[in-house]
Amino acid sequence: MSTNPRVSSAIADQPASFATVMSHTPNLIGKFFDLYAHFWQRGIVADVLKEMTRLRNARITDCGY
Amino acid sequence: MSWIATVDAGTPLEAVLNHRPDLAARYRAFYRSIFTDGLVPRRTLELCRLRIAAIHDCAAEAVVRDTAVSLGEAELAALQAGACDGFSSAERAALALAELIPFAHHSISDAQMAAVRDDLGDAGCVALVTALAFFDVSCRMRLTLDIDAEPAHLSNPPLRHGALV
Repeated sequence: MSTNPRVSSAIADQPASFATVMSHTPNLIGKFFDLYAHFWQRGIVADVLKEMTRLRNARITDCGY
Repeated sequence: MSWIATVDAGTPLEAVLNHRPDLAARYRAFYRSIFTDGLVPRRTLELCRLRIAAIHDCAAEAVVRDTAVSLGEAELAALQAGACDGFSSAERAALALAELIPFAHHSISDAQMAAVRDDLGDAGCVALVTALAFFDVSCRMRLTLDIDAEPAHLSNPPLRHGALV
């Protein structure tokens, strides 16, 4: 796995990050953020449970992000 | 039948997801845009989706087909076996990522990503990786929730009469 971004930022003068790389597909990422925000802000699963499982998943997939 | 109680809905997947209708609506809109944005050829998406379904041995995903993509028996057998030499170079580049996304994502090389970028550009590359990730998600959801396998030929994937298949 590369340690350097493999796709450049879609936003001038901003470094490559999840948001700026995904901005190459504004329609897709807009709908994703709508989904993800709803999951985090309106869900019925306790926040602490979601955060624990998110971090555990990040460890299992070895995702430093 | 899923071990989660189902609600009245048009497809086995929606019968489970619609326990949370607002979340399901947003997931439907997002997943639909993978197919409608036009950044990745429908055939490439279909090849990759079916390959990931084969890797997961996910029958519920494998029996869904995009009618805009006509795949022959030999192509379907190749996808099932992971023997993708007969596809175009661009399709093989996409399938190389699909092969690794489910269980070996750390093994994706710079060269493999570059091959996809060369073919699809930055926007297409981002769209393809997102599609692959959520084809993987789709299999994992179907398998974990034990969603019934219901054969479907979709002209408007991933929807049938507005419902996620």
